[in-house]
Amino acid sequence: MFACSAQRETVDITFVPVWQDRELDCLEGDKSLSDLRFFVSNVQLIDADGGVHPVVLTTDERWQQGSIALVDLETGDGSCRNGTPATNAQVRGSVVSIDPVALRFTVGVPFDMNHANPLLAEAPLNDAAMHWHWRSGYKFLRAGVTTKNDGTWLHLGSTACDGTVQNIRSCSSPNRVEIALSDFRSMSGRVAVDLATLFQGTDLQDGVRSDCSSGPAESECGPMFAALGLPFNGADSDISHVFRLLP
Amino acid sequence: MLLSLIAVAAITAVLWLANRERPFDWQIAAGYPLPSVPADNPMTPAKVELGRWLFYDVRLSVNQTMSCSSCHLQQLAFTDGKARAIGATGEPHPRGSMTLVNSAYASRLTWANTLLDRLEDQALTPLLGDNPVEMGMGGRESDVGELLANEPRYRHLARSAFPGDENPYSVLNAVRAISAFTRTIVSFDSPYDRYLEGDTNAISASAQRGMELFFSERFECFHCHGGFNFTDSTTHASTAVESVGFHNNGLYNLDGSGAYPADNTGLYDMTGRVRDMGRFKAPTLRNIALTAPYMHDGSIATLPDVLDHYARGGRLLESGPHQGDGRLSPYKSEFVVGFEMSDGEKADLLAFLAALTDESVTTNERWSNPFAQ
Repeated sequence: MFACSAQRETVDITFVPVWQDRELDCLEGDKSLSDLRFFVSNVQLIDADGGVHPVVLTTDERWQQGSIALVDLETGDGSCRNGTPATNAQVRGSVVSIDPVALRFTVGVPFDMNHANPLLAEAPLNDAAMHWHWRSGYKFLRAGVTTKNDGTWLHLGSTACDGTVQNIRSCSSPNRVEIALSDFRSMSGRVAVDLATLFQGTDLQDGVRSDCSSGPAESECGPMFAALGLPFNGADSDISHVFRLLP
Repeated sequence: MLLSLIAVAAITAVLWLANRERPFDWQIAAGYPLPSVPADNPMTPAKVELGRWLFYDVRLSVNQTMSCSSCHLQQLAFTDGKARAIGATGEPHPRGSMTLVNSAYASRLTWANTLLDRLEDQALTPLLGDNPVEMGMGGRESDVGELLANEPRYRHLARSAFPGDENPYSVLNAVRAISAFTRTIVSFDSPYDRYLEGDTNAISASAQRGMELFFSERFECFHCHGGFNFTDSTTHASTAVESVGFHNNGLYNLDGSGAYPADNTGLYDMTGRVRDMGRFKAPTLRNIALTAPYMHDGSIATLPDVLDHYARGGRLLESGPHQGDGRLSPYKSEFVVGFEMSDGEKADLLAFLAALTDESVTTNERWSNPFAQ
């Protein structure tokens, strides 16, 4: 049936939560994870000539469906007690046989799937914790850290949407994060999610919670959005440094 | 063989007759509009009955301590008497529980949200949301399905309520049933309604004077609290143009430029447009005497205080973290301009507002806790 198609190779990308150079987990300590879950979509490999090759995700019953994967790096215990025990660190798929030089993906759910009824959706879009019932659409990214007596979190998703829940016309702050990682030169790689970069503008020592739920005017969101390369409240976008390749 | 074919045909005919669509009996007096109902969730008695049980069932919360009725108590016109609601795990909500009475006619639901126009969508936030945790069932949707499938009462009702569904035991159907039940909580039997229907003695002379004041250009109340449901965010089955309104009524002015407390900026939190600062929905005034404390954050304790607030044209907070003069907010509604109000006029307005209380809301058995019977 696929006799005419070019040879395909499997691709797997493993995500690793880090704080600068050290891996982060849900074991309570000086600084630990409180949440880290995000949707990955539109995964592409780029060849040396700039050719773009979509990675076709392997559909499973829980984490991957169509062009969308859910990465879940929290274990539901310790400092992640508000999460879930199931985890998934890997995005899996296949791509035509090439020599890649870069990896691209989007953190987010495409607009045309973002505003459908989550109770009618299939996994992974049926995960209530990842849905934003009152803003409409999904939380593209939930990330949080705790320290001994402080902490912060970000819930990222589209905001300032027009229409009504069943009929969203557009969102003036789509807040999808485009990631491009050069030097991705094999079919398998590890990508760090650096929460130290994400929360670099957030004071984690003052005992004052500085959480961000993507409100278009929440001042706490400014530095987090800047770290993700997203425009915020008039500030321009830049490239994201939160995601980087690990050797 | 022939007999059994006839029997099958007869049973089929009976089932068809039983299941064909009949207009739902809203028990709404003639002359009042009917609520609009989403096409994918038609009203049926079985669905409403299922929704009534679920509305009162604490098994719909993460720690079995809270049902919908915990924040929406019938004796308080389906509010909870608290300034701000508290979730099942003790987390405070930034806003107070709104009445469910006539929510079937709300063009938008909750205090400040342009997107939520169906109870079926709104219900997901208290049930599944985690910021803050209200009922805390996010990630436990299958528990709701199992409850419907395993408890005989629910199993039976769910099958009757969703006869076309292969598997009717879903959180989606639970939400549909709760929404259908909530839609039946309709009130048009206040003394004021009876007065409008021709019973001139239904409300006192004082309430009649208060009614004149309420609908006067001097007091301006009806601009936001107008129409049959006393709110400008109203819709119904034969609405031509839906009405949606959000207003800044001068409660806060933290920085002299109109800022509201950061956890409660109203529509501004949704849109990020400064002109939306402090804009909230004008709630229905039906049964308003039962739903203290008032405003989105419960920051005004009594109805006389509410009238004083509007008479001043905005609130002055002389000290504390929310210090500022709301009267001077640049975002304040043009209808909140202040007015002179004598003690007599105040009493008349209060008498009118009290005449909007429909006693049947608190006593109607159709909306009461079925577990208590």
